[in-house]
Amino acid sequence: MPSRKFARRLDALEGLFEFSSATFRQLEIDASLLFAIDFALEELFTNMVKYGGSKAQILIEIDAIPGGAKVVMVDEDVDFFDVTNAPPVDTDLPLQERNPGRLGLHLIPKVVDTIEYRYFEPERRCRVSFTKTLSRPEQQEPANNPNNPAQES
Amino acid sequence: MLTCEQTAPGVVLIAGRLDAAQAAVAQNFLDALPGTVTLDCTALEYISSAGLGVLLKTQKRLKSSGGELRLTKVSQQIFHIFALAGFDQIFRIEAA
Repeated sequence: MPSRKFARRLDALEGLFEFSSATFRQLEIDASLLFAIDFALEELFTNMVKYGGSKAQILIEIDAIPGGAKVVMVDEDVDFFDVTNAPPVDTDLPLQERNPGRLGLHLIPKVVDTIEYRYFEPERRCRVSFTKTLSRPEQQEPANNPNNPAQES
Repeated sequence: MLTCEQTAPGVVLIAGRLDAAQAAVAQNFLDALPGTVTLDCTALEYISSAGLGVLLKTQKRLKSSGGELRLTKVSQQIFHIFALAGFDQIFRIEAA
């Protein structure tokens, strides 16, 4: 499974997208899924960079699954923050009441099929995984998001 | 990479990826424009929430002075993101 570590900087995004597109080509994953994968990758990566508080590099793995792709992101030395449980955003508010905050985390489950957050203590490691396949048409229903803080054995 | 170019009075061609690393580029460009601005999204390949924030801030500013930001030639994938974000209720959006 192709994997790479990325520095916790927003300018790492360019390399991150190069990695995702190259991996899609390498594993022959349908290119129409790349937009959703990149979107979720960016939102989660920037959340880790901005709020993770760690200095560790962020590990990203991309693998092919039947009909699509699975991404795993691992961050070290971070506090628990379940990205699948962020407060909802009211997208029906009028313009002057709209704010861009938390919109990314709100949208992720709407563009991917599944997303899972796991946190491992005492290592203070978080693992976020998500999938996107061709079999699930674009829809408004949020992705399945089982989240079970786990003790790493 | 992201580029912004004013191709006609009130018309801006935005091209590339409007992500968190490039959002400031777009914001700085749009902040200088008054009135009603039509953003031609023909060559906009990708947008994230950072880009949505740029568009939202610009729309608020322009609307407050009687103008607006219009989004045209939007790809299907980006149109879908706009719809999920409720932007179809606060922007005039024309699909490609």
